[in-house]
Amino acid sequence: MEPLDRDLDDSELELAAEPMLLNVGPSHPAMHGTVRIVMELSGESIDRCDVQVGYLHRGFEKMCERGTWTQVYPYVDRCNYVSPMLNNVGFSLACEKALGIEVPERCQWYRMILGELARMSDHLTCDGAMAMELGAFTPFLWLVKAREMIWDVFEEECGARLTHSFGRVGGMAAPPTQGFKSDVAAVVPQVLSMVDEVQRLLYGNRIFLDRVENVGIISPEDAISLGWTGPALRAAGVPYDVRKASPYLKYGEVEFDVPVGEKSDCLDRFVVRIEEMKQSARIIEQCLDRMADSGPINVQDPRIVLPPKEEVYSTIEGTIQHFKIVMEGVKIPAGETYSYTEGGNGELGFYLVSDGSGTPYRVRIRPPCFYITGGLERVIAGQMMADVVPCFGSLNMIGGECDR
Amino acid sequence: MTTGLIIAFAAKAFFVVMFGMNLGVILTWLDRRQGAVIADRVGPNRAVVWLPRSIARGMAMGPAALIAVGVIVYFLQVEATGLERTTRALLFSQLAIGATWITALSIAGRVRIRGVRTDAGGLVLNLDRLFAWIGDPRVFVYAGLGAHLVTFLAAAALKGMPIGANLREIAYGASPAIFVCSILAGAVYSVMCMTHERVGLRLMGLLHPAADGVKTIFKEDFIPPNGDRLMHSLAPFISFFPALVVLACVPFGDTLCFGTNDGKIDFTNLATMVPREGMCVDGAMPLQVLDLNVGILFFFALAGTGIVGAALAGWASDNKFSLLGGLRAASQMVSYEVTLGLTLIGAIMIYGTLRIDEMVRWQAEHTWGIFVQPFAFFLFFAAAVAETKRIPFDIPEGESEVVAGYFTEYSGMKFAMFFFSEYIAIVSSSALMAALFLGGWHLPFVERDGLFIAIGDTVLLRQPLTHLSVVIVGVIGFIGKVALLCWLQTTIRWTLPRFRYDQLMRLGWRKLLPASLVNILLTGLVVLLVQSASPTVQAGLRTAGDLTELTVAALGLLAVVSLARYWLQPVKKRRAIVTSAQKFAARLGGTKSARMGA
Repeated sequence: MEPLDRDLDDSELELAAEPMLLNVGPSHPAMHGTVRIVMELSGESIDRCDVQVGYLHRGFEKMCERGTWTQVYPYVDRCNYVSPMLNNVGFSLACEKALGIEVPERCQWYRMILGELARMSDHLTCDGAMAMELGAFTPFLWLVKAREMIWDVFEEECGARLTHSFGRVGGMAAPPTQGFKSDVAAVVPQVLSMVDEVQRLLYGNRIFLDRVENVGIISPEDAISLGWTGPALRAAGVPYDVRKASPYLKYGEVEFDVPVGEKSDCLDRFVVRIEEMKQSARIIEQCLDRMADSGPINVQDPRIVLPPKEEVYSTIEGTIQHFKIVMEGVKIPAGETYSYTEGGNGELGFYLVSDGSGTPYRVRIRPPCFYITGGLERVIAGQMMADVVPCFGSLNMIGGECDR
Repeated sequence: MTTGLIIAFAAKAFFVVMFGMNLGVILTWLDRRQGAVIADRVGPNRAVVWLPRSIARGMAMGPAALIAVGVIVYFLQVEATGLERTTRALLFSQLAIGATWITALSIAGRVRIRGVRTDAGGLVLNLDRLFAWIGDPRVFVYAGLGAHLVTFLAAAALKGMPIGANLREIAYGASPAIFVCSILAGAVYSVMCMTHERVGLRLMGLLHPAADGVKTIFKEDFIPPNGDRLMHSLAPFISFFPALVVLACVPFGDTLCFGTNDGKIDFTNLATMVPREGMCVDGAMPLQVLDLNVGILFFFALAGTGIVGAALAGWASDNKFSLLGGLRAASQMVSYEVTLGLTLIGAIMIYGTLRIDEMVRWQAEHTWGIFVQPFAFFLFFAAAVAETKRIPFDIPEGESEVVAGYFTEYSGMKFAMFFFSEYIAIVSSSALMAALFLGGWHLPFVERDGLFIAIGDTVLLRQPLTHLSVVIVGVIGFIGKVALLCWLQTTIRWTLPRFRYDQLMRLGWRKLLPASLVNILLTGLVVLLVQSASPTVQAGLRTAGDLTELTVAALGLLAVVSLARYWLQPVKKRRAIVTSAQKFAARLGGTKSARMGA
């Protein structure tokens, strides 16, 4: 007699199981509105995936070539819209490197404080959004409340909360306000206390830890070969920070640590950002101590910096100077420059090509996100579909910067 | 009698539906408000109906005047003697105290928020000044609660003494007068505050979710072109209906006894005291829509039907995200249904019945279910949250993964029905939990014949009350417990992140299910032990049961006081910095937040 299960070895009895092709995004809540991932799902786990960027491409780099150097600032604002001030500072430094000038010391401290505040707001947004996408709404609202305070400082300084356009070649658009130091000193401890509350809410939360621990691991070698920088690379255990590796502004003179992760999972990326905020607070404290209360902010060079308005209206020299800078732009000597700073997500580079006129010949932006998003496929392949959320969230892809 | 029964049935069904839907609306509001509170915003409070001043004044004055006239007429027409007289005096003195402090509290709160109204002259201005001088509105809460307690204890202590009788006569005469006066005073104050041409009716912002609900009716009803039209339209109903209907088997209060043996209705029974033990056989009206002897099984049978709606919606939508959501919903709800049922086996073993009203009676007699089945309560709570598909178990609709899960392709009222059934499911599961584990309508020391505070054989206090008042207090207590559990679920939803699909299944099958099996085993052992225990031990257990009631009563009182203390404490909001723009806005009159200052 034949056994009843004779057919079990044949494939006939098996159900036809083919993976489901799922288009996630670009219009999907977890895709930050701008990325599309084509997933091959078997059940809930991702067999293969294809990350496609470019849905937010607005041609920034090309647009930069139609105005003066100063008119690039609004574009760099909109590259990384969660920490525009860092982009402002980065672009200023690139132009100044091409010009071969250095801004006064007070301005350097000022830029560092603003930049670190922007870094805090970047990390607040990223960690908050990551927690929110996992379903924990309260931490998000708390962190965004903290970010609002930082934006209050920016609003007080430059009038804008989101897109500041506050940097200028050779200085800043305006000197620090009267209450700048006391405002910053009041805001930073409050932000840290909120971060502390969020830490207490999440670090002991079993569900949160289960969702982020050992999820989205990438090896340090892979991360380096993909060109990762910033918190995502540091979470992989590589202590590369532009502020330490090649200090700019006054970063060589302040004390701060570079937090690194161990496992390179989503939790490490989350924690590294939290710790970086504390280091930023440390830097800000030292900068506040050392920033002079008075003194020049802009370089004293009439070819680069706009004259005061009263001179424009009362003297012929002032009028001409103003006219030349506004109509023709700051003239950057012909040549090529690459300048890089530590942005919110990693190394933010500006590669400038000038033909000697007041208009950029080419502005190439090296966005940290683009390279990090390039590694997303490797991070999420083989994970479950729900893991895309913390992985993608912890990489902090900023659409404007990635697609430009 | 049949017509009477049908009317009673319809009235009960109407009440239950209204209860579920209204609480659902309030929960929607609460859920969104919670987000606003965390983010320090105003929140969904903006819906308003503008009324002409005369109508608004009428709405404020009318009910108050009606109640006042009703009370006066009642006291003049219906003379009470004996126990009825005492009960009425007691009841109305408590009501008078309550009305007085609540009125004072509302006025004080208003004065604190809006400031002294200098534009309103005369009485209002002076009253406002008085309340502003008193300052912290919390004193009214403390004084009010203290007065409640003192009156109550005095009544119990002075029972039988001549001075007690005198005081009763004074209370009998004075308390309705005070009650009427404070209600009228509150109404007059609010009328005098209505100085503008039109007055906004906001109901604390509760109109907002109602307006949102009405709005969805007029939205486009989208059905995916390749979707299954019939199933797509059917799914929300299958989801909505059971969520509402399960409330039918939950008793809201103790059985009302009125009527006589010959089938006539006799309402005077309500105003008398009924014996502590036993049930009225004739003319009884259970305060639940369906008086089933399989009560709890009915609940599970219908709650299980809700799964079909979610799964069907996922299948019929012709969308891969919906499909994933539907699959997740089906597997999750089936898995947690098992735990939900098994955790209750322990409780059923102890109560020895499937009827929910019998379960509540057992708890009233012995002790609340949470004390005999604490483990089961937490398991049941977790499984019930999973059943309602809310965070941390909201993977079927986790918006950052599968967009909106099984209702991705729904719009308009159909979407609202899914949305609403989720909130009503919270209400119904809370109602079931309150009935099974928190003593249902039973409040500590409130027996069928009145208040009876006793620990073991020591009787501390005894206060007979009429049947109707006991039942009403029970219904209010039950609704309070449901609200408490709903609030707990909302807080959890705003605090925790969500599980991943495999983690959820692991929790359900590997942790909750074995735990509920262990619970059954332990319960069996304990039941056997108690049954074979000596009479001394059993008496000790009874005393322990009384002690738990005492604990609950003390904790409840503490909770009320601390709620008043923390909710009503003056908020000192400080901004880290005040920007120039905010200062400018404040100079121009400004917004609320601009006036805050640093």
